[in-house]
Amino acid sequence: MYVYLYDNFLKQRKFESTIKAIETRLTDFGIAGKIIRLQNFTNPQAIIEEEIKWGAKVVVIVGNDDTFGRVLSRGAASSVLFGFLPIGNNNSIASVLGIPEGESACDILSQRRKVKLDIGWISNRNRYFISQLHIPPGDITVEYDEKFKVSGKHQKMELVVCNLQPFVWSRKGKDNFVVHPQDGKLEAFLRPMSGRGVFKDKYEEPSIFPFEEMTVSSDKPFTVEADGKSTKETKIVIKLAKNRIEMVVGRERKF
Amino acid sequence: MPKIEKYSIIFGIVIYNIFNMFQKPIPEVNIHNKEHSPNEPDDIETVVGPSVHVEGDFSSEGNILVKGIVSGNVKTSKLFTSERGSKVLASVKAGSAVISGAIKGNVKVDDRLEVTASAQITGDIDCKVLVVEAGAALKGKVTMKVQELEGSKNEKKSGLIRRAVKEEE
Repeated sequence: MYVYLYDNFLKQRKFESTIKAIETRLTDFGIAGKIIRLQNFTNPQAIIEEEIKWGAKVVVIVGNDDTFGRVLSRGAASSVLFGFLPIGNNNSIASVLGIPEGESACDILSQRRKVKLDIGWISNRNRYFISQLHIPPGDITVEYDEKFKVSGKHQKMELVVCNLQPFVWSRKGKDNFVVHPQDGKLEAFLRPMSGRGVFKDKYEEPSIFPFEEMTVSSDKPFTVEADGKSTKETKIVIKLAKNRIEMVVGRERKF
Repeated sequence: MPKIEKYSIIFGIVIYNIFNMFQKPIPEVNIHNKEHSPNEPDDIETVVGPSVHVEGDFSSEGNILVKGIVSGNVKTSKLFTSERGSKVLASVKAGSAVISGAIKGNVKVDDRLEVTASAQITGDIDCKVLVVEAGAALKGKVTMKVQELEGSKNEKKSGLIRRAVKEEE
């Protein structure tokens, strides 16, 4: 049985025609199912668990990158097959997964090409992140795999952990260096801030560390933005959750 | 250039900068304008930036590029590259290496070790192939696997020949 989780923003009139077309296509394929509209304060994990009890086999996220991140940040703990129907702007994850926007995404869903994905896990908060985790410049200490510590000459450092969305490092005259989600490790990009400019902050060249476990700590609370959701923390432990979620992807996926 | 036009350009730049100042910082870590170093390997997996200090034993399954300071042992089965101005304050074990920075510790390389003119190595070197550029500073014992084997075989042979000559006499 298919369960569709619609984001709140899809109520807008401009998405009406797309939603109708998608629903017709899903009915044609015989994969139409229960529709649940997510509100701002609904806990997706509770909904998913409830639906699994009622026999749900596939949970399809309908919306954009924010919806995707919001549902899977908690919902990744559930063992169910996930699907994604991207609608509207801010849909960069879909292209990584090889899923086209709008109606044609139904074709991908019906083909059921399943792939297990590695995702990031903030273990001390029991939260998952799918695409990216960002810590704005702050006085942070980073310890990798309980083996080595990284500190900057300048106190403030910015940290980006990439997972699903590839990070492209373009290099002159050579092929770009792309971070892939399926390489069995997470990639951390650490950028020390060298000073404040008049209009823009100055940064040093970034460092790259692949890791399986990383601890970020500070005496002062620092901001953690995981898949667009911000929280204040004093210590986080980031781990790699190998093959945590099973997802329906397109043939033209970028990994 | 007429005065009014000049002022309007300056005014435009000021407005643009003020607008940028109040914008939320975007988590972009792109280094698109980064100049490419000739020693940079094709698939870099770990990069220690120029102002970064790594404390502790540091190992990677992929290539390692050091531009900053590492106080601890470094280990990789692939290529280890240290850039000019970098420091490694412990031993290095790698599949192959290109050294342009300072290393205070032993260097053990399975295959080819390239020491450039700006390199300073204080410690013993163990490798298969050694390339040293003019100007490099080395302080320590250099052991090369192939030479050692050939040398030891020659010594044995010469010993046998000597014995045979003595017996004939």
